[in-house]
Amino acid sequence: MEFKVNKLKNGLTVIGEVNKSAKSSAVGFFVRTGARDENPQINGVSHFLEHMVFKGTVKLSPFEVNEAFDRTGAQYNAFTSEENTIFWAALLPEYLVEITKLWIEMMRPALRTEDFNIEKQVIKEEIAMYKDQPSYDVLDRCRTLYFGGHPCGNSVLGSVQSIEALTAEQMREYFTSRYAPNNMIAAFAGNFDWDEIRNVIETGCAAWESRDIDRKLSDTRGTRAKERLEKANLAREHICLISPSVSAQDTQRFAASLLSMIIGDSVGSRFFWELVDKAIVETASMEYSPMDGAGANFTYIRCSSENANKAMEIVGRIFAEATKAGVTENELKMAKNKVLSALVIKNELPMGRLVDLGFNWTYLRQYRTIEQDVSSIKAVAVADINALIKEYPLSEFAQFSLAPAKNG
Amino acid sequence: MGQKIDKHRMKNGMVLLGERMDNVESVAFGFMLPAGAAVMPEGCCGAANVITDWIFRGAGDKDNRQLGDALDGLGLQRSGGVDTAHITIGAALEAGNLSAAIELYGDIILKPRLTDGQFTPAKQLVIDGVKGLDDHPRQKVMIKLRERFYPQPLGRSTVGEIGQLEKLTPELTRKLAANNFNPSRMIFTVAGKYDFTAVKKQIEGLFGKAGKKTAKTLRIGPKGGKYKHIQNEGAQVHIGLMTPTVKITDKDYYNVRVAVGMLSGGMGARLFTEVREKRGLCYAVGAQYHALKEAAGIACYAGTTPDKAQQTFDVIINEFNRLADGISEEELQRAKVGLKSSLILQSESSSSRAGAIATDFYMLGRVRTLDEIKNEINKTSVDSVLNCLRKNRFKDFTVVTIGPKEIKVG
Repeated sequence: MEFKVNKLKNGLTVIGEVNKSAKSSAVGFFVRTGARDENPQINGVSHFLEHMVFKGTVKLSPFEVNEAFDRTGAQYNAFTSEENTIFWAALLPEYLVEITKLWIEMMRPALRTEDFNIEKQVIKEEIAMYKDQPSYDVLDRCRTLYFGGHPCGNSVLGSVQSIEALTAEQMREYFTSRYAPNNMIAAFAGNFDWDEIRNVIETGCAAWESRDIDRKLSDTRGTRAKERLEKANLAREHICLISPSVSAQDTQRFAASLLSMIIGDSVGSRFFWELVDKAIVETASMEYSPMDGAGANFTYIRCSSENANKAMEIVGRIFAEATKAGVTENELKMAKNKVLSALVIKNELPMGRLVDLGFNWTYLRQYRTIEQDVSSIKAVAVADINALIKEYPLSEFAQFSLAPAKNG
Repeated sequence: MGQKIDKHRMKNGMVLLGERMDNVESVAFGFMLPAGAAVMPEGCCGAANVITDWIFRGAGDKDNRQLGDALDGLGLQRSGGVDTAHITIGAALEAGNLSAAIELYGDIILKPRLTDGQFTPAKQLVIDGVKGLDDHPRQKVMIKLRERFYPQPLGRSTVGEIGQLEKLTPELTRKLAANNFNPSRMIFTVAGKYDFTAVKKQIEGLFGKAGKKTAKTLRIGPKGGKYKHIQNEGAQVHIGLMTPTVKITDKDYYNVRVAVGMLSGGMGARLFTEVREKRGLCYAVGAQYHALKEAAGIACYAGTTPDKAQQTFDVIINEFNRLADGISEEELQRAKVGLKSSLILQSESSSSRAGAIATDFYMLGRVRTLDEIKNEINKTSVDSVLNCLRKNRFKDFTVVTIGPKEIKVG
């Protein structure tokens, strides 16, 4: 594995980790923009814009874009979070240059009003689709509740109202202000020729103009608000809890990730043994989510309404015990084994590697080898985790519950 | 592509398959146990799911907690579940822990404790899973679709039926596990970094003592009606539709796979183009080839708000029907390259390969090499695909919808 980096004069950073023995390559454009960079008037624009990137350029129609990807057999897509928009493709090495050139072209989309109006219908369908997935809906609602006025609480999809009100002109302005080369990274992993790729990026992106870009970074410990909403068509109680943790830049992030695994991995965790194994709930999991300058633990629980109170009592006890007595050596050892094997397996695929490579650069401006991550995980001690719990008590959470409406 | 496939059939009939992969430190393994949903007797829908949970609640000299800790201690990424024919259990892990993991799985399969005390929570979790599905109409519609599309018991729900689950007793379920956990008809697969001689020796030692047993023959009954609507006051109408097609053993199999690729391979394929890109009717729309050993179909899903449901359905059916009218060389090539490239991308993952060789062996009695599949895809042409489509017209659609509004299926 060989790491390469190059920064263009306009601020675009190109990073790559070459693995000549891989059968595939992966390419990604990481744009440092998302829902937290929006204001209420344009809520949902980052995600909508991600869709519009696929609608073509001055030269390419939407159909030509799709066909150009499909001609290479590439697997490709994009996703938007509260703070990142990522465009990616996993493909055979012989098509990498062609697809990189296509992405470069697409990063300067036409944003035609006519395409904008059709895609608006698709976005509204996507919002409706997630309304029918309460496990997602509850998380989205809880995020807004937890973050209060903090921009990380902005909905990624936006609402039907905000999307309906959004104009193509507002999107074009947002695009100009956020998709500047100094706010983007082009990342490559797997089997590729670095010099060739560096030239393709230089030639294709040098003319992009840099801009002054700003993101308000402020940490938050969130609210401790509690809300419950009943819906007529639900069968189960869906509960989301969010509590504060360390940011993506914090060196304690490895301890935070191990802690969430000890408390809430899908098997073998405290949640598992106390809640799932005893069939009090169908599912209970906790995941640490590191963000730019902030961080949080997300818990999701699904159970019958009859068991909801009992489940929350047990969760309260698990949190209190963790704060009081900390975690054990044995728990930490098992969590490390699980985290390490997941890390190794994920990074065997160029696409898996691309994600870690891109995010490490996005958050840390740093290249980290898999071995470095492995040693950081191995170095975490029980005392580190216990100190983290004291600093960020799990019991300081916001809670949102979506519940079946009671008859009568 | 220089694949290294290992194969061994034990005296009692159990089959071991392996695919050695260079440049990986991981290994994935799986046991396919002939105890899937369709194999269970009438009135026991969900028993396979209860068994899958229950066998992990203590085995050999370990109780529930000790077994869970031992599995976690090896850093296993567990995988598996229940399908029509099998319960599959397995994991991906670092190669050095393979032998210890196989030892534990040997106990889970051969010496599960299956205590009465652990039966209750195992059953309750499966019941909860079925109830939880009501809040996931997108998943539920496809389960209900397969239930009506395939004749019984092939279509039987792979999650379970609450009424039948409630009646299950530990005695009966224990008997079902014992009758169907038959090493002589198990398939064990491993892919990634491993030593086949060592694996063979270990599996022989664990499973070699079991005697031969003959396979059960399934009595195939009638299939469900053409259309079913399930009322749900959600935001969207979730539409599932399925039409019969050729099985994996048919000479037209690759023509059908290419045809499905043209309908729904990439974003340039017909369904995405006509339903989403041109008309903005859906966010999610797609079709897939779905096969059992006994029958196969093309299954399609679309989710859309109630006012657009009828139009979405009509556009999809029209796209299925009009494929036989004509296809271009270019779209054929796109479909072919899409299939070939996904094959190679999946070949980098030990879990994908372990699953693929197991399915091949079950369906075909042998493992296809990637080269063979590639060659067969290469052989398809505009003519061969059109001939196949005209010979096997898309008809007899089974349709299920979940949502606030019914549609007319014609």
